[in-house]
Amino acid sequence: MPPVSTSSVVLKALTKSFGAVDVIKGVDLVIAPGEFCVFVGPSGCGKSTLLRLISGLEEATGGVIEIGGQDVTDAEPSQRGIAMVFQSYALYPHLTVRENIGFGLSLARLPKAEIAAKVEAAAAALQLMPLLDRKPKALSGGQRQRVAIGRAIVRDPKVFLFDEPLSNLDAALRAQMRIELTELHRKLGATMIYVTHDQVEAMTMADKIVVLNAGRIEQVGSPMELYNAPVSPFVAGFIGSPKMNLYTGAMAAEMGCGTYGIRPEHLRLTSVEPRWTGTVRHVERLGADTIIHLDVPGLGEMVVRADGDASPAVGTPQGISPMAGRAFRYDQVLPAQ
Amino acid sequence: MTTRRNAIRQRNTGVIALCLATLIFIMPFVYIFFMAVKTKKEAALFLFSWPAEWQFWANLTEVVQTRNYMLLLAYFNSTLITVGAVTLLVIFGAMVGYVLQRRPSGWNRLIYACILLGLMVPPAVVPTIWVLQGLGLFKTIHGMIFIQVAYGLAFSVLLYRSFIGTIPRDLDEAAIIDGAKPWQVFFLVILPLLKPVTVTLIVVQSIAIFNDFTNPLYYLPGKENVTVQLTLFNFQTQFQSQFNLLFMNILLVTIPPLLVFIFFNRQIVAGMTAGAVKG
Repeated sequence: MPPVSTSSVVLKALTKSFGAVDVIKGVDLVIAPGEFCVFVGPSGCGKSTLLRLISGLEEATGGVIEIGGQDVTDAEPSQRGIAMVFQSYALYPHLTVRENIGFGLSLARLPKAEIAAKVEAAAAALQLMPLLDRKPKALSGGQRQRVAIGRAIVRDPKVFLFDEPLSNLDAALRAQMRIELTELHRKLGATMIYVTHDQVEAMTMADKIVVLNAGRIEQVGSPMELYNAPVSPFVAGFIGSPKMNLYTGAMAAEMGCGTYGIRPEHLRLTSVEPRWTGTVRHVERLGADTIIHLDVPGLGEMVVRADGDASPAVGTPQGISPMAGRAFRYDQVLPAQ
Repeated sequence: MTTRRNAIRQRNTGVIALCLATLIFIMPFVYIFFMAVKTKKEAALFLFSWPAEWQFWANLTEVVQTRNYMLLLAYFNSTLITVGAVTLLVIFGAMVGYVLQRRPSGWNRLIYACILLGLMVPPAVVPTIWVLQGLGLFKTIHGMIFIQVAYGLAFSVLLYRSFIGTIPRDLDEAAIIDGAKPWQVFFLVILPLLKPVTVTLIVVQSIAIFNDFTNPLYYLPGKENVTVQLTLFNFQTQFQSQFNLLFMNILLVTIPPLLVFIFFNRQIVAGMTAGAVKG
C-alpha cells in the first residue's frame, strides 16, 4: 500500500487583482489529500495565477488558502510545505545537478551527510545518478525536467505544484513524462496540483479536473464526469479532442435550447435518412480513426470521427446523423470559446 | 584557379592589415621603452632612435628610489583605491541593478532617471571638496574610494540592470520556494550568474581608476597620499625635466593594468558573448 498524503488544499473565496484587473474572481475549491488535481483552461484564464497564489509567489487579494488544515494565506512560500516545478525548469545554471537538487536542503542547513543521502535517493528514483555532477546546460530537456522534479521531491513537500511542466518537451517525450509523472504520483501518494492548457494531459493524468474560465471555476469533476456531463458549452468545447461541435442560432432553437452540442465521435456517416447533409472539406487520417471536416449548409463546419477505413472523397456530399441520447443542450447562448 | 588566387589575395590582405595594426599599437610602446632606457641628454632630443647608451637598470632604480621610494607608496595607494572602489562598485552596482530590475515600483523611473543623470552630469570639483571636508573625508584614501564609487556607480548599475534582465525570474522564484531569503537569492543564485558582466566591469573600472590622474590630483593632495599617475610629476618640473626617468615611470605604471587586461582578456570576450546565445 503506497503512502497517502494527509494534506488537503482548500481555497475559500480566493480573489486576486492586478491593479484594476480581477484575474481570480472568487474561487472555492477542495483538493482531497493525495489527489492529482489538474487546473485546465485556455491561456489567460488565471490557472497559473491560481497556482502561484497557492505557492505563495503571489499574494492573495482576498480569501483563504489552507494547506494540510493550516491557514497559509499570509505564509512565506518556504513555510507552506510546497514544492514547485516550473515550465522553464528554472534550474540554477551555475550549480551541478547534485547542488541543484540539494539547494533547498543546504539552505535549511541540514547536515551534509543527510543532504547527500536525500539527493542520491531522489536521483536514484529519477534515474539521474550518472548525471549528478553535470551542469544543467549539459542535459537534455527531459533530463532537466527530471532534475526539476528531483528538486521538488527532495524537499518532501505536502503538496507538489506543477506549472505546465511538459510544454517545452517534444510530443514523444511528453507522452512518456505523462506516464512517469502519474507513476510518481502513485508512488509518493502526495497531493499534486498540475496546471496545463492541454486537455489531453488533463484527461490522462487527473483524478480531478478543474476547468477555469476567465478567473472562475467552470466545472470540477473527474475526467469522465467532465466528458460525459459538461455543465456548460465552455466545458463541453474544452474537454474532448477533436472538440465538440457546438451550434447556436436557428438550429439550437429548433432543438429547444440556446446551444446545441454533439461530439465528433457521436456522429455517424449514413446514407439512410441523414439528419444533416454536408460537403466533405477535409479528411485527416489518424490510422485508427479518420477525422472528417464537413461544411453543412446553414450550420457551418461539422467534425465527425469515423472509422479508420472510412475515406470519403473531398468535395462529395455525406449524410450525418447523431447517435441517440449523446447530444448536449444548453440554455446559455455562448460561443464555444 | 580563381579560388586559389582569391585565397592568396585574402591571406596577403590579412597579413598586411595585421602588420599595420601591430605597427600602430606597438609603436607608442616601443617609443616609451626607448625613451626609458636613454640617458637624460639623449632623451631630451625626443628622437625615435635606437638608444646610444642603455641605461635600463640605472633609470629603473633611480625612478623607484626617487623621493624616498615614493613610487612604491604610490603603487600601494593606487592598488588600495582600485581594489576598494571596484569591490564596492561590483557589490552595490549588482544590488541596485537587481532591485531596479526585479521590484516593480513607481519609484523605479525616478531612480533610473537619477542614475542616468549621474552618467550625464559632469562632477563639480569645488563643491565636492566642500562636501568631503564637511564629512572629514578630504585627503583620505577612503574618501577617494567613495569618490571613485560615486563616479562609476551609474555605469555599473546600468550594466548590471540590463544583464539581470536576461536572467529568468523563474530562478528567483525557484530559490524562494526552496526557502532562500532575499539576500540568499541575490548572493547564491543571481550574483554567481553575473560573472561575465562582473569580469568586464572589473577590467574596465580597475584600469580607469588605477590610471586616474585628475581625481586624485583634486581630491587627494598630500605627499603620503600619492597615486601612481601623480608620481609622473616627480620628473617634470617648471625648470627641469628628466624625460628618460619620466618615461621609465610611465613604463612601470603601465604594467599593472596591462597584466589585468592580459589576465582577464579571455573572460571579457567570453562574457560579452555569453548573454548573446542562450543554450
